[in-house]
Amino acid sequence: MNILVVGLNHKSASVEIREQLAFSPSRVTEALDRFRRCFPSSEVVILSTCNRVELYACSPKTSSEFTEEAIFDFLAGFHGIEKARFRENMYVYQDLEAVNHLFFVASSLDSMVLGESQIVGQVKEAYATACSQGATGKVFHQLFQQALNAAKEVHTHSKIAQGKVSISSVAVEFAERIFQDFSDKTVFIIGAGEMAELVLKSLVEQGVRAVMVSNRSYDRAVTLANEYGGKAVRFDSLEEELTKADIVISSTAAPHYVLHPEHIKSAMQRRKGTPMFLIDIAVPRDINPEVGKIENVYLYNIDDLQGVVSQNVEERTREVEKCRAMVEEEVEEFMAWMEEMKIVPAIARLRHHFHHVGKEELERLRPKLGNLSEEYWQEVVYTMERTLNKLLHRPLEVGKEEAKNGGGYRYVETIKKLFGIGHHQDSSSGDR
Amino acid sequence: MEISAYSPFWLIAVFYLLSGIWEVGRLLRPEGFSKQWADRLPLVAFILHSLFLLYLASRVENIPVTNLFESVVFLTWCVVAVFNGVEYLYGVPSLGAFLFPLVTVLGFWVLSLGDNLLSTPSNLSKFWLIAHTIPLFMGYAALTLTFVLSLMYLTQQRQLKHKFFGPLLLGLPSLESLDRLMWKTLSFGFPLLTLGLVFGIFWVKYSNILGPQWYMDPKVVMGTVTWLVYAALLHLRIGVTMHGSRVAMLNIAGFTLVLFTFLGTFFLGAQHGYKKISKEDTMIIKGIKE
Repeated sequence: MNILVVGLNHKSASVEIREQLAFSPSRVTEALDRFRRCFPSSEVVILSTCNRVELYACSPKTSSEFTEEAIFDFLAGFHGIEKARFRENMYVYQDLEAVNHLFFVASSLDSMVLGESQIVGQVKEAYATACSQGATGKVFHQLFQQALNAAKEVHTHSKIAQGKVSISSVAVEFAERIFQDFSDKTVFIIGAGEMAELVLKSLVEQGVRAVMVSNRSYDRAVTLANEYGGKAVRFDSLEEELTKADIVISSTAAPHYVLHPEHIKSAMQRRKGTPMFLIDIAVPRDINPEVGKIENVYLYNIDDLQGVVSQNVEERTREVEKCRAMVEEEVEEFMAWMEEMKIVPAIARLRHHFHHVGKEELERLRPKLGNLSEEYWQEVVYTMERTLNKLLHRPLEVGKEEAKNGGGYRYVETIKKLFGIGHHQDSSSGDR
Repeated sequence: MEISAYSPFWLIAVFYLLSGIWEVGRLLRPEGFSKQWADRLPLVAFILHSLFLLYLASRVENIPVTNLFESVVFLTWCVVAVFNGVEYLYGVPSLGAFLFPLVTVLGFWVLSLGDNLLSTPSNLSKFWLIAHTIPLFMGYAALTLTFVLSLMYLTQQRQLKHKFFGPLLLGLPSLESLDRLMWKTLSFGFPLLTLGLVFGIFWVKYSNILGPQWYMDPKVVMGTVTWLVYAALLHLRIGVTMHGSRVAMLNIAGFTLVLFTFLGTFFLGAQHGYKKISKEDTMIIKGIKE
């Protein structure tokens, strides 16, 4: 049994190469079919996300056609690009390494953002697609289910997926500690940078009711306001409108402060102490830091938010070792299963051998017993089967145990020698 | 009453201590303390506490406020009962982490007094005692919750002001929900407090238990001051609609007055409520009982 993964990811290849090799969902099924036509006895799963393209394949024998070169050729042929263009960016892992890789990928330990949750869904999806195309078999069922299980273990029993790791989600996290309910809150956005819009989007997803936009260019403000169902405000009337704002996101390109303590103080007086959350994403800053000292005003700048992001990323990184150990345990479990699979055919033959001998002996015995009643004869047959099963019990148990500890091959050889079995075609039991 | 009758309260106080440790642990290091125990320990403590309260009530055949110990047992029970109500209605994260340490301290404090017991006169009218004490105690309990919520508000505010992004920030509720809950518990506690005081006034007028100079009694004075502070607070919250940290700080000030009225006036040698019983008194009480 031979498991192979060929692929590239955000670390090994630039986006230009990744996009050339990526499979759109509709083309995945086509690729699976074509791969199965090239290698009929193989199992295959294709994982294609924006950060990686990977082809997992498994063949029952180490046939000469089923090599990494053959898979490169397949990819080149399918996408219609030169093999040389992506060869250097590809990684190839086999057997234990391949299993390890898949488990790492599924557990998001190989992701650009450690602990991100999307990849689990993507692996699940890739596996489900392959299943529905009939491209998977016994080995990949076990492999992918165990990989998904490993991902679940890692996510529930470690802190790898904890803590927000983007500026906008951290801003929302802070906002959630100030406000309970966003449906009656108003966001005021001054200037319209990309990051500010991301934060605004996250807040709108939380259910923020009203959005007001103010920008030096009134037209731009109107466009953005329309996009989020808000109201555009002229830059000169900013001060009056500020009173209504529960959350202010500022990201103008102004070289000086736009909001001063006086502005906020007078707004706070009219707000009667209802808290105000200010996010200053601009560099240079838009809001005078003195504003943060006003009672019931909470001011955060880009460094504050970035600081939390870095802290959370660091915490996730610290969890990697723990996760690695968890994944390795799952990998071991899978490898033990694989070993066990190796001895399965040999065990089947051993059982067949015993029962065959028993049957022969019974056939020899039957005429000698004369007109024995059917009832007694069944008793004799039953006793024979029971005896054989009892004799077989221990060798089978030992076999499983040996296989788990990596002694499957030796075990198969031994029983072959002892019982003279396995001289005929043997596909996967002992060949390596 | 013999000291041995109080010993079960040690067990209850220990359960509150464990509840406190568990809740604080869950707040600061959530992965180290299971939720199951954080739910079970306070429940066990409250059940034992309720049974003990019933036992005390059956002993005195009245509401158990015949001495300082019983009163504290009753008051803490009211506090935990109101806490359970708030938890049931609003499910406030980490409220227990702030409340149980307070209950524990009160519990151990009263246990530490040992046989230094203070008793109420035994000739009090049952009707007036109930009418005066139950609303007052429930009111105190609600205001204790207001106080605890205010502490949580100020803690969360500190986290936000100083940008401490840690388990405390993430474990505490939002400022807005704390502000709303402070308001809810206050507006539940204040009418009860008023009712208790009004019944108290009727009682002294009717039975003359505090003598003609009843309005000079420290506890009466302090009770009135406390009531005025909370009335002012309510006015500020409704009329001027003041929110945030100032309300929280006023709540804390109000609660210190509650504590002083309830426990502190004794140190001023007040006649009202409890007084230290002398050996002869004990003999007399015992004699009567036997």
